[in-house]
Amino acid sequence: MTWILPPGTSLRCEGLNAPLQVLRGLGGGTQGQVYEVELAGERLALKWYLPACIARDPRLPLRLAESIRATAPNDDFLWPIALLRPELESAALIRSREPGFGYLMDLRPPGYVGAHEHVGGHLAISLRNVLRAGFFLADAFHALHLRGLCYKDISLGNLFLEPASGRILICDNDNVDVDGQDPGSVLGTPGFMAPEVLLGQARPGANSDLFSLAVLLFRLLTRHDPLRGQLELAIRCLDEPARRKLYGEDPVFIFDPADARNRPDPIEHAAALLTWPIYPEGLKALFEQSFCRGLRQPGQRALTGQWRRALAAALDQRQLCPSCGQETFPEPGSSGTSCWNCGTALPAPLRLQLPHGQVIAAPENALHPHHFDPLLEEDLRRPLAQVEAHPSDAGVLGLRNLTGERWIAVLGSGERVPLEPGRTCNLAPVRALITPAGPIAVLHPGRP
Amino acid sequence: MPFPNVRLANRPLHFIYLCDCSGSMAAQGKMQALNQAIRQSLPGMAEVARQNPEARVLVRAVSFADRASWHIAQPTPVEQLQWVDLQAGGVTAMGEALELVAAELRSPPMEERALPPVLVLISDGQPTDDFEAGLRSLLRQPWAQKAVRLAIAMGHDADLEVLQQFIGSDPGAGGGLPAGEVPGASGQAPRHRPGKSPRRPLQASNATALAQYIQWASTAVVGAASMPASRVAGATADGNIPLPDLPPTVMDPTDDVGPLVW
Repeated sequence: MTWILPPGTSLRCEGLNAPLQVLRGLGGGTQGQVYEVELAGERLALKWYLPACIARDPRLPLRLAESIRATAPNDDFLWPIALLRPELESAALIRSREPGFGYLMDLRPPGYVGAHEHVGGHLAISLRNVLRAGFFLADAFHALHLRGLCYKDISLGNLFLEPASGRILICDNDNVDVDGQDPGSVLGTPGFMAPEVLLGQARPGANSDLFSLAVLLFRLLTRHDPLRGQLELAIRCLDEPARRKLYGEDPVFIFDPADARNRPDPIEHAAALLTWPIYPEGLKALFEQSFCRGLRQPGQRALTGQWRRALAAALDQRQLCPSCGQETFPEPGSSGTSCWNCGTALPAPLRLQLPHGQVIAAPENALHPHHFDPLLEEDLRRPLAQVEAHPSDAGVLGLRNLTGERWIAVLGSGERVPLEPGRTCNLAPVRALITPAGPIAVLHPGRP
Repeated sequence: MPFPNVRLANRPLHFIYLCDCSGSMAAQGKMQALNQAIRQSLPGMAEVARQNPEARVLVRAVSFADRASWHIAQPTPVEQLQWVDLQAGGVTAMGEALELVAAELRSPPMEERALPPVLVLISDGQPTDDFEAGLRSLLRQPWAQKAVRLAIAMGHDADLEVLQQFIGSDPGAGGGLPAGEVPGASGQAPRHRPGKSPRRPLQASNATALAQYIQWASTAVVGAASMPASRVAGATADGNIPLPDLPPTVMDPTDDVGPLVW
C-alpha cells in the first residue's frame, strides 16, 4: 500500500491546537485510506479521502459536518468526530496532487472482526451471539432512522462483530444523510441494494435501508444470500448484468412460499437449507415479509422495531438440546419439537414467567428490563439477571442477580431466601423470585 | 455451541498473469522489479480473497519469451501461492501465450459456473509471433470475452496498440487510436484524454508505479470481480464488471524524472 499520509508525518490541521502524528496506515480502499494517529496523547483513527472520491461526491464535507454535529445515534457506530483539513504548510506533506480532507473517529477496539469472517465460515460464534449481533444491528438502524437519518450503503464490508459477545460496530458512516434529502452520490452495494435502487427507480433512503438490513440479517443468520437459489445456478458467469437480473429485474426469495422458482440447491446452497429451519417462525415471517411483498413494495418491509422484537423473542426461546448441547429455538408452548442438529426430542424446559414475556431457563439466557415493563423497548445492554449452569454440575441451573439490589427467592416450601447482588440461586427448589423490577415465576415442567 | 459449520457457496475467480520474459526484461532490473511487485502483492491479494466469501480466488501465470509456457499451471488458491522468480531471455511469443490461456478458458477445463476471470498482461516490448491469431483464438472463448482484461506497459518501448487490442476498445476514447498519446503515422493529432483509465494500458515507467499497478490489479480489481463494491451514481457502467479507480497518483520525488530502475 502506498500511503498518501506517510507514517511519521506530523500534520497540522485547521482548528486543532496540537499536531496530528500519523502512526501507521491501517487500510485503504477506493474511497480513501485509514490511519492510526495520535492527537494530544490520544490514539484515534483518521480516514483520509482520495481526490477521485472527493471529486465524485461534492456534498461529502457538508454531510460529514452535519453528522459530526448530530453525534452518533448510539455506541454501535464508529461515528465521525471531527472533519480535518490540513493547514497550508502541512498540505505539502500529503503525497497527493490535492491535499484533500479527512475525518477523525475512534479506533476499532480489538476483538472485533469483519462480518465477512462469519459469513465466510472462518469464525466460531454461537447462534446466541449471531442473534444478538442481529439485534444490535436492527437496534442501531432503529436509532439512526428515529433521528431522521439513513445509512444508504450497509453491507458486510462495514459491519464488525465481537464473536464472544455478539456486540457490533458499524463503520464507514460517511454516507449517512438526512432521509429524503438531496441525493448523495452513493447508491449502495449490489446484493444489499433494494431492487428499486439497483434499477435506478429510487434513491437510497430509510426504506431501502430496511431492505439492506433484512439482507444483512439473513446473511448473518444463514451464511447465505436470500436471492441466490436455483435461478443463480442458471447463471454461468456471475457478472454485472447477471447480478442486475438476480437482485433487481427478477428477484425471488429462495424461501418464497408462493414462488418456488428459486429454491436453494441441496448441494450448492446447503448452508441456507441447514440454517433456515433453526429459527422461530416469528423471525422467518419477517424475512418473508421483506423479501416477498417487500421486494417490490418498499413500504411493506419489516421495520427495525419488528426485527428487534422478533430477535429478542428468539433469544428468549433459546433452549439447549440435552443430547448434543446445540442451541435450539422451539416455539413457546409447542411439544414434540426435536433438535435441528441431532433429532433428539426436546423435553419441556424450565421457564421463567415475567410480567411481560417468558424466558426459557437455559445457560446465558437473560432477563431484561423490557421483560418487566411493557412500556420499555427491547434492550439487551442492561440485563437484570442471567441463567447460569452450576460451575461443577452443569445439570443444576441457577439465576444470577445482576442488579445492585437484594432479591427474595420463594421456595416451594414457602421459605424465603435472600438473593444478594451478584449471587446465583439454584432454580430447582424455587417457585418465584420477588424483585424490585417485578415478580419472576419459575415454571417447572410437570409441576402444577 | 457454535454456529453450524456451513459457509456461503462460492464461485472460482481465475486470476491469470501473462508475463513478458523476453531478453529486454533482463535490462535495468525490469525482471526483478516484476518478480518483486508480484511477490509483494500476494499478502494483500490473500486478504481481499478472505474478505470476499463469495469468491475462491485461484491464481495462475504464463510466461512468454521464445515460447510461451505455464509458469504456474495449477489454479492455486492465493493464500498457498509461492511465487517462483521468472527469468528473462528470448523473444516475445505473446500470441502463443494468448493461445495457452485460450485453451484453459474453454469449458471444460473451465468450471460450469464462475466469476469473471481476470487476465493481466505485462509487457515491455513488441510481440514477435502472430499476436493477432493468438488474440482471435482467445476472444473466441466466452470466458475470455467476459474476463476483465488489464495490461501493464513496462517502460516506454511497449507496444501500446497491441496491449489496447488485448484490453478491447476503450469506450472513453471514442474509437481510433489506443493509449499513449502517440501521433499516428496517419498524421492524426494526438488525442488528449483526461487522466489514466484501466481500459487503457497502464504505463509503469518505474518500479514504484509497477508495484502500484500490480497491487491494484490483485486487490481492487479482484475485489470488484468477486464481490460488488459500493456503487455511486453516475459511475460509468461499461463492461460487465465496473472497474475500481486506479491507485491515486502519489507525488513521489521519483515521479516524472524518467526511468529510475531501467
